[in-house]
Amino acid sequence: MKQHGHLTRRRIIQATLAGTTALATRSALAAPALVKGSKLTYWGGLIFSDKANKMLVETIKKWGADNGIQTDVVMINQNETVQKVSAAVASNAMPDALDLGLDLLLLLSRQGVFITLDDLYTSVGKAQGGWFPAVASATDTTKVAGGRTGLPFGITGNLLLRRNDVLSKAGFAKAPATWEELATQAAAVNKPPFYGLGLALSNVGDGNTQIGVLQSYGGRIADDTGTKAAIKSDATREYLRWVKNAWDKKLFPPGNTTWDGAGDNNAYLSGQAAFIANTGSVGIAAKNQDPELFQGTLYSALPAGPKGTVSPTDPNVRAIPKASKNPDAARALLEHLAQPEFMSAYYAEAIYGPVLQGQSTFKTFGPQDAIHSGLLDLVQRGTAPAFPDVYNAAYADAYNNFVVPKMIQRVVIDSWDFDRAMDEAQKQTQAIYDKYK
Amino acid sequence: MKRRALLGLIGTYAALIAAALLVLFPIYWMGITSLKLPREIYRTPSLWPHVFTMNNYRLLLEEKDFLDNIRNSVIVAGAVTAISLVVSSLAAYSMVRFRTRYRGLIGRLILFAYLTPTSLLFIPLSILMARLQLGNSLYGLVLVYLTFSLPLSTWLLQGYFRSVPRSLEEQGMIDGLTRLGALLRIVLPLSGPGLAAVAIFTFTGAWNELLLALVLITSESARTAPLGLNYLITSDVLPWGPLMAGAVLSSMPLMILYFVAQRFMVQGMTTGSVKG
Repeated sequence: MKQHGHLTRRRIIQATLAGTTALATRSALAAPALVKGSKLTYWGGLIFSDKANKMLVETIKKWGADNGIQTDVVMINQNETVQKVSAAVASNAMPDALDLGLDLLLLLSRQGVFITLDDLYTSVGKAQGGWFPAVASATDTTKVAGGRTGLPFGITGNLLLRRNDVLSKAGFAKAPATWEELATQAAAVNKPPFYGLGLALSNVGDGNTQIGVLQSYGGRIADDTGTKAAIKSDATREYLRWVKNAWDKKLFPPGNTTWDGAGDNNAYLSGQAAFIANTGSVGIAAKNQDPELFQGTLYSALPAGPKGTVSPTDPNVRAIPKASKNPDAARALLEHLAQPEFMSAYYAEAIYGPVLQGQSTFKTFGPQDAIHSGLLDLVQRGTAPAFPDVYNAAYADAYNNFVVPKMIQRVVIDSWDFDRAMDEAQKQTQAIYDKYK
Repeated sequence: MKRRALLGLIGTYAALIAAALLVLFPIYWMGITSLKLPREIYRTPSLWPHVFTMNNYRLLLEEKDFLDNIRNSVIVAGAVTAISLVVSSLAAYSMVRFRTRYRGLIGRLILFAYLTPTSLLFIPLSILMARLQLGNSLYGLVLVYLTFSLPLSTWLLQGYFRSVPRSLEEQGMIDGLTRLGALLRIVLPLSGPGLAAVAIFTFTGAWNELLLALVLITSESARTAPLGLNYLITSDVLPWGPLMAGAVLSSMPLMILYFVAQRFMVQGMTTGSVKG
């Protein structure tokens, strides 16, 4: 009657078979067999560096050749990713894997467009010292998609570029630590057509940099529940006073309330601005086409307001659509692209900050490279997207409706008083948040 | 009196020169910027380059394969124009000459089809093209552009065909021409300027179109000229030199076309504008 405790020959054979099957299954899960001759389409995001774009294409093609997979790499202009991907989702013509920004990832993850990549995310993180906390929290789609749908590969965010050649002559050797100090330094060198503050106050992404300034003064877009607009406050009034003072001193270049996305960069590259906030592309452009300007430029973190520094990081991720015809190969490719050999060479040419702790030791992020070391600093000390606000669909909508730049325009262009401008912004923002209740 | 005439002449020429400068200056600026170094474009804007460079053109032609983009545009715009002329001639003729039920309604629907904004249609059209397996191909692009060019061409040609006296066709048919023969041998030759105007409008529209090409085309090898130019902008720093060089190259075929066909254009635009 105690037979089930005995090791019979049948049991040993059964146990051996079960163990072998389990091992085989596990190894199959860990490294799915790639089907030779199968196809894989990858949409990469075109970035400012041609070398980085070529490197991505060549690496994917080489990986395909090594693994017997036909790869088709299409580089998509990041300015048009939304239109392109929206049409592809609607027509079921998504690629097998793609690069995209956090906004689009969150939006499409909510619609169930992507497969989850938790196992890949965990294994890549473990192998390279773990993910930076800001990256990990910002890209967590578990609440909306039941798991992580994006594998982060680089962060962007604004650095403060300053004309050290001009400012040091005026006695300002150090980067401004606060926004008030920034305005003081800008006023000291402001001699039109050379202007102190090359900051956009228009309805473009660069204009939304002002949201971070407002938040560093203690202002908010919405309350902690992420449902109720909270623009009208004393902190926002203080912030508006700062902008209005700088405006009245004529520190901004003319037309900055209607600039497009390139307005601030054009002003800086034209030698007409002492400060701008930029991702680093202007630095690379200056390096390539205007060495004198490049030498005269220094980079630092964004200044602080009375409530501290708000310097939002913007992670970029790779994802695999559920519609992928070759998800195993796509997963293997994403793992390959996350390896240090590729990423160290890629970062050297691209304008991305690291996402993994292990990547911070790459030579590119050393002190000799002002832009890349600034990006490392950004991921280590920067704030999560929207912080201290709650990053949700309503916030993204308010962001894309440029409520803060519009409020500033009411003050500086239409000469509205602060309360009237805040009332309008508050009302507009609440209407946006009400849509998502 | 002589002095007044002279002053009038000087005034006329001054106004004409001012108008010509107003029109030509952007083209001049485009051409001259394409020959400048990046630093000069940004730092020292001037009417004449301090240093001439062909580097922007070299980059465009050698590294970006821009001539392939131009070739694709020629294929697409040429095909759309040719097909539009044939189909819209037949459609316009039938609308003008045959008395059918709902003719007026169909005419108005054609106009509405033309007036529908492209931004409303790009997703439905991309779905259609994907289902027809024509996504990412020049054939698909030609088909999509026809949905916009055909209504406009048909609508414009109706006006020109109406100005051809019906009696001329009737005389031809008494002499043995079929209905199709009357169209080919009498109506179309007499509507030459109108056909030229329609061809130029259609070609220009297809040549310049960006949004649909952006959505439908993914391969580098199938990019049209506007798409090629668009792909030069990869961040918030604009490469003005290559952009202007690309603008010069892609506007050349259109400039030549307008130069050759301007006589027809003027005639075509005015035909049928007055009675009698």
